[in-house]
Amino acid sequence: MESFNPNPTIFVTSKHRATHFAKPHSLWLDEEGSDNDLETEDESNDIEEIDQDEIFGTRSVLHATTVQTYSFKLATKDLIRSISDPEHRNMSLEQLAVVSAPQITFDRKVPERLTVEFTPTVPHCGMSTFIGLSIRVRLLRSLPQRYKVDIRVKPGSHQSEQALNKQLNDKERVAAALENPALLEVLEQCLSTTGHGNSEET
Amino acid sequence: MNVDLPGKFELVAELEGHDDRAWHIAWNPTRNLLASCSADKTVRLYNFSSSTNQSDGTTNGLTFTHNTTIPTGHTKTVRAVAWSPSGKTLATASFDANIGIWAQEEDNEEAEDSPSGEWECMSLLEGHETECKSIAYSSTGTLLASCSRDKTVWIWEVHPDSDFECMGVLMEHTQDVKCVAWHPTEEILASASYDDTIKLYLDDPSDDWFCATTLTGHGSTVWTLAWEPLQGGYLASGSDDGTIRIWRRLPVKGELRFDCVAVLEGHDRSVYSISWSPSPPSVVVEGEQQCELGLLASTGGDGIVLIWQITETTEADSGKTVIEHKIVARIDAAHGVFDVNSIAWCPRTGLQDVLATTGDDGHVKVWKIHV
Repeated sequence: MESFNPNPTIFVTSKHRATHFAKPHSLWLDEEGSDNDLETEDESNDIEEIDQDEIFGTRSVLHATTVQTYSFKLATKDLIRSISDPEHRNMSLEQLAVVSAPQITFDRKVPERLTVEFTPTVPHCGMSTFIGLSIRVRLLRSLPQRYKVDIRVKPGSHQSEQALNKQLNDKERVAAALENPALLEVLEQCLSTTGHGNSEET
Repeated sequence: MNVDLPGKFELVAELEGHDDRAWHIAWNPTRNLLASCSADKTVRLYNFSSSTNQSDGTTNGLTFTHNTTIPTGHTKTVRAVAWSPSGKTLATASFDANIGIWAQEEDNEEAEDSPSGEWECMSLLEGHETECKSIAYSSTGTLLASCSRDKTVWIWEVHPDSDFECMGVLMEHTQDVKCVAWHPTEEILASASYDDTIKLYLDDPSDDWFCATTLTGHGSTVWTLAWEPLQGGYLASGSDDGTIRIWRRLPVKGELRFDCVAVLEGHDRSVYSISWSPSPPSVVVEGEQQCELGLLASTGGDGIVLIWQITETTEADSGKTVIEHKIVARIDAAHGVFDVNSIAWCPRTGLQDVLATTGDDGHVKVWKIHV
């Protein structure tokens, strides 16, 4: 991690996004065309970093009665992209390429089930459990409660892949971790960069 | 699954009140009292009364009323609750690593069905290093077992005046221990773990408690255990792999051995809780002895509750025993979009067709199963 010299702009170039938008008819797009408003808004925020407008944009999508999975995938990514890296607090998970939109996938049969994959920066990254936990908590707080989320590290990206996946998807372990005040404090700091976009269903 | 199942669920009561995820539920074995516990660190107790139909003796209706809320004083989630067989003592297992032992003030003990005394913490059992996940009293009430993420299972001897003595610390599992369950008649303890195994323990009269056998087969964390409640000839286990396994105790003298005799597939996420109801008497059909082993209820992260009928068939000629299982009732989204964390059959006479469930919505639901 220490030798890692990140250049955030490299990871968040428009080219990266262009590739993404070049495939609007991806397998996630079940119905008609994608939501142009969302894309525009999403793209504009690439330049300006994360801000609350983006979160609000996300919010409206999440509250829509029929959520197109493609839009939703972007929205989900927007929820987690700006989480701070626990070791490099001034950088986001997106800037370090830990999370990306293609790594968010939906169950084909049950669209309320999604899998979020993330890529630890190094295979021995000791912060991976924490990063996974921060993604889980962010989604727990932001997504409507009907969504069930599985979190996994990218296959082959971590030496303790299986153990990590098991721990991150054990709801009891997650619940207990969140009752640890020291851990929770660091977690809140890493999530503070995501704005207060908690769109819990009311 | 659009198959028409014979069994139906009737929602009898929905009890709100917990401010956070409700983890576990336990029916008092001797009085009409139901306990639930939650991440809100409290235990809620409900009284219930049933009206009986004079003509056929069936139960008409069940009415639940909130009895009291025990704040507990646990500093973290109360993960599990267990009643002693006498019904007088309640044990709580908490993520704060402690076990609470609760009883009502003495002077109110006389009023059997209308308890009004305060529940007091009679004892606090410390010993586990991390979250305590499950607790269980043995059938005679003389032993209490507890387990924890610290990978240990503790066996406590219950002395008068809420005094407990640790009889053994079993360090057999390599991971987090999720559940402990005592055999219904004998002093055999089973534990289930994040290490994907189930272990069974016996007391060596001349020595200590020891692990007699390990059951492997589940593909992930084993969350829950339930013994066949009358004979204890079978043990069921529910896992993160989405399956329930049924293990038969083999009649090997002087040895504790189990074989996996069935794998029940019906859930598509973690099975968090199972409960096994007592069975009606055996019947003989065409040279085969069919023994109904009762109904197994299961639930978990998919929010589905399934009722399985478990039947043991012994061929008269060969003496060969086969276990058959079929789903007789099913309800989807039992707690709406939420996970269902716990399920328990009511042990009270005349109410054996009543089930309680708890979910991430913090609610307790009571169901009557018409099979």
